[in-house]
Amino acid sequence: MKKDDEFLPKIIAFLCNWCSYAGADLAGTSRLKYPPSILPIRVMCSSRVDPLFVIKAYLGGADGVLVAGCHPGDCHYEKGNYYTRRRFAVLKKITENLKLEPNRLKLSWISASEGPKYAKVATEFTDQIKKLGENHTKNKIFL
Amino acid sequence: MTKAIVINKTADQGLTEVLKFLLENNRVKGVFTLKKINKEGDVSYSLITNADDLKDSVPFYPLMPVNAAKILSRFTLKGPSNVPIVAVLKPCELRAFIELVKREQGSLENLFFISSTCAGVFPLEMAKERSIGKNLSKYFEKIKKLEILDDLRPVCRSCEEFVPYNADMTVKLIGENIDKKSIIFLNTKKAEKLVEGIKLDVSEKDLDKKTLDNFKSKRAEEKKKIFADIDNKTNGIDGLIDLFGRCIGCHACREACPICYCKLCEFDSSDCEYKPSNYEIELRKRGGLRVPPGTVYYHLGRLDHVSISCVGCGACEDVCPVDIPLSAIFKKIGESVQKVFDYIPGRAPKEDLPITTFEKEELKEFEE
Amino acid sequence: MNKPKNKAAVVKVKNDIEKSVLDFLKKGMDNEIFDAVLIPMKVPAGDSFAYVLIKDKSLLKDASYLPPVMPVQGANAVSSITRLGKGKMKIAAVLRPCETRATVELTKLGQTDLENIILISMDCPGVLPLSDFVKDPKKGMKLFDESIQKGEDKSMRPVCQICDKSSMVSGDIHIGTLGAKKDTFFVISNSNKGDEILSKLKISKKEDLDNWQSKVKNISEEKLKKRKNAHKTLKSKVGGLDNLLDTFSQCINCHNCMRVCPVCYCRLCYFDSDKVKHPSDDYLMRAEKTGSLRCPSDITLFQMGRMMHMSLSCVSCGMCEDACPMDIPVAQIFSMVADETQDLFDYVSGRDIEEPLPFVSYKEKELEEMEDAA
Repeated sequence: MKKDDEFLPKIIAFLCNWCSYAGADLAGTSRLKYPPSILPIRVMCSSRVDPLFVIKAYLGGADGVLVAGCHPGDCHYEKGNYYTRRRFAVLKKITENLKLEPNRLKLSWISASEGPKYAKVATEFTDQIKKLGENHTKNKIFL
Repeated sequence: MTKAIVINKTADQGLTEVLKFLLENNRVKGVFTLKKINKEGDVSYSLITNADDLKDSVPFYPLMPVNAAKILSRFTLKGPSNVPIVAVLKPCELRAFIELVKREQGSLENLFFISSTCAGVFPLEMAKERSIGKNLSKYFEKIKKLEILDDLRPVCRSCEEFVPYNADMTVKLIGENIDKKSIIFLNTKKAEKLVEGIKLDVSEKDLDKKTLDNFKSKRAEEKKKIFADIDNKTNGIDGLIDLFGRCIGCHACREACPICYCKLCEFDSSDCEYKPSNYEIELRKRGGLRVPPGTVYYHLGRLDHVSISCVGCGACEDVCPVDIPLSAIFKKIGESVQKVFDYIPGRAPKEDLPITTFEKEELKEFEE
Repeated sequence: MNKPKNKAAVVKVKNDIEKSVLDFLKKGMDNEIFDAVLIPMKVPAGDSFAYVLIKDKSLLKDASYLPPVMPVQGANAVSSITRLGKGKMKIAAVLRPCETRATVELTKLGQTDLENIILISMDCPGVLPLSDFVKDPKKGMKLFDESIQKGEDKSMRPVCQICDKSSMVSGDIHIGTLGAKKDTFFVISNSNKGDEILSKLKISKKEDLDNWQSKVKNISEEKLKKRKNAHKTLKSKVGGLDNLLDTFSQCINCHNCMRVCPVCYCRLCYFDSDKVKHPSDDYLMRAEKTGSLRCPSDITLFQMGRMMHMSLSCVSCGMCEDACPMDIPVAQIFSMVADETQDLFDYVSGRDIEEPLPFVSYKEKELEEMEDAA
C-alpha cells in the first residue's frame, strides 16, 4: 500500500469464473505487478452481470467498473459473452448520453492463460481512472 | 399508388363509417378506438361491439389518455383473440404493441390495425382542464398547412416516426383537410377483404412522399431544439440529481410506459429493500441519504431496461405529478441506443429484439 | 402511548422558530440522544423537498422541519428504513401529524419497527398542492410563509383545509406553536421515550399546557365544522352511481394514488395482479352486454376496492390527490368515507399504537344494526 496521499482508485471488476478470473489468478501466481485497485467479484459468466450491478457500483462510488469475460467465441456457455457485449453497449450509450463519465466503465476479454493481459488491463485502467479522479457520487446525498 | 377509400366527411366521421360497416357486416366482432364517454365530452378508449355505440367514437381525437398498446396487451395477454377485432391506434402505440408482442405480452392473431399519419396529441393536462375541444379548429388548421402546433406535447412536436408501420389501413391526417375529407388507405390484402362490398368511393391514391418529407424535416428541427435542451440539463451526476430532484418515487412513469410490463418491477422488489445496516453504511459514507433512496438509480435502471424499445409515446411525461421532462430524456437516449443496432422498435414483428440476439463479430468500439 | 400530560417544556425561540427547532435536534445529536435525524431538506435544484436521513450534523442547517409541500409521505420514509427490523441507530423522525399517524398505523400493520425511532410531530398549518408548487417554487414558498403569518389556509390543499387533526399527538414528542407565549414554543412529551429525551436534554416540564390545549381545541372544532359541511356537499356531488361514474370519468387507472398512499403497502397490489387480468373472451362478453366497454376497464372496481382495503387506516394525508394526474378529488372522497368507516368502530387511524386494528379484532356483540333482524 502506498503511503503518500496519491489517489488509489476503487475498481469493481466482474470476472467470469472460467476465463478472466482464472487469468487474474494466473497473474497472481506469476507474481506479475499491478496496482491494488481492483476489487474482484467472481461470476460464472460475464453474462451474469446485470447492467444494474454496474449502475449500482457507479452510484455507490466505485471509481471504475470492469467487466471481463472470455473472448467472443470461447464462452464456456457458448454464447453468454455475446449478450454481455450487447448489454454493455446499451449501458455505455446511456452513460455517454448523460455525460456520466462513460470512461469509468470498461469491457475486456481476458482468457485463462492471459495473466499478463490481466495485469496490463488492470494497470492501464487504473491509470485511466487516476486521470479521471475520484468518483464524486460517493458523496452525494440526493441520489 | 395504393387503393384508398375517400369520404367527404371529417376524418373521425369517415373512419367511423368504415368501422360501422365492419361491425354491421360481421367482418369484425369488436372495435378498439377513442370514444366520448359522457356529456362533458371526456374521451377514453373503448371496446365497441355494437355498431350503434359508434356514434360517439372519435378515433382521431388529439389525446392519448393511455398508451393503447397496454390495453391491447391486456386483451391478448391470456391468449390471442378468438374473433377478428380492429384497433385504431397511433403509430407509436402500434409500434409499442409490436414490441410487447416480441416480449410475449400480447398476440397479433385476429387483430387488424388502423393507424394514421399522426399529427400529434395534446398533453393530458389539457384533457383534465377540458380545454381540448376549443383548440380543435386550431389543430385542424395547422395540420392542413403542415405546421406544428405549439400546444402539442414535446414528444409529438419532435416525432419523426409519424408514418405507421404494419397498419392494415392508414388514414391520411397530415396535410389533409381532415375537418372536411377523409382518405383511408388500404395497405394490405387483408384490409381490402375487410371492406369488400362497402358502398364508398375507392380510388388509387398516394401518400405524397414529398409532403411527408417536408413535414418530417420540420419535426426534425423541433427535435433538435428539444434534444439540445435536454443535453444541457443532463450534465453528469449533478445534472441528474437536479433533473430528478423533485421525483416523488411514485413510479407512475413506469405504470404508464407500454414497454414496462413486469408484474413485479425490479425497483419494487426485495432487491431494492434495504436493511437498517445498509442505511448505516451509506450514512457513514455520505453523512446523509435521501429516503426512500434510489431515485436516480430507478431512472437509470429503467433507461437501461426500456431504451431499446422506447417508441417516444410520451405517456411517462403525461402522468408525472411533478412535470419531469421524462419523455424527451427517454426518447433521446432511446434513439441513441437503438441507432447502435440500426433498430427501430416496432418496425417489423419478425425483427428480433437486439438484446436477445447477437452477431459473432460486432460492436468492437465498445470492447477493451 | 398516553395522552399528553398537562405540563410541557417550553423552549425560547432564538432567530426564528425553524432555526430553534433545528437547534433542538442538533442538541439531541450532540448529546448522543439520537444518532440521526430524518427530516425534509430542499433538493439541490431548489424546486422541491425530500426526506433525508442526516448523520452529519452540519447538514441540519439546510433542513426544514415544516416544508410547504409533502412530496413523500413521511411514513413511507420511516418504513423504508425499518421495515426489515430496527437498526443500531436511534433516529429522530420529524413528521407532520398525519405522517406520524400513518407511521403508527404502519407499525400495527407490521411495516415499521418503532423501537429505535423517536417520532416528533408539530402543529401543522397544512401544505400547498404539489403540482402548483413545482411549477413556481419561489411563489409557493412566499405563499406558504404568508399563509402561516396571516393564519390563513385558503392556499392549502382542500384536505388540509378541513383537517381537524392538525395538532393531534400520536408520536413521542410534539412541537406546539399554537397558544405559546411570544418567542417560545412548547415541547410536549407523549411517551416515556419523550420524557427520557426531555430529561436528558435537561429541559424540564414547567409550563401549563392549558393555552395550547384550548387553542388546539378551538381550531379543531372549527375545522371539524368545516369538515362536516364539506363532506355533506361532497356526498351530494359524488353520491349515487351516476355521480360516482362521472367523478371518475377522467380516471386513467394509473394507480398513482395507490402507490403514494402510505397505507397501501402491498408489494403487488391485488389490482395489478393476475386476478384482474382476463382472457379476451371475457372482455368481449362484457362489451357485448352494453354495446361497449371502457378501456382500461374496472376503474370503479379499483377505486372502491382500494377504499375497502385501506379505509380503516386512512389518515387523510392527501398524497393521493397530489399524485393524481387528472386532478380527481380522491383524497376528499376517500377521507370522507374513511371518517364514516372508522366511526363505526370509534377508531381513529394512528391515534394510539395500542388500539387494535378493527379488522383484526372483534367484540362478541356489536354492529347489530348491520345484521338482519332476528
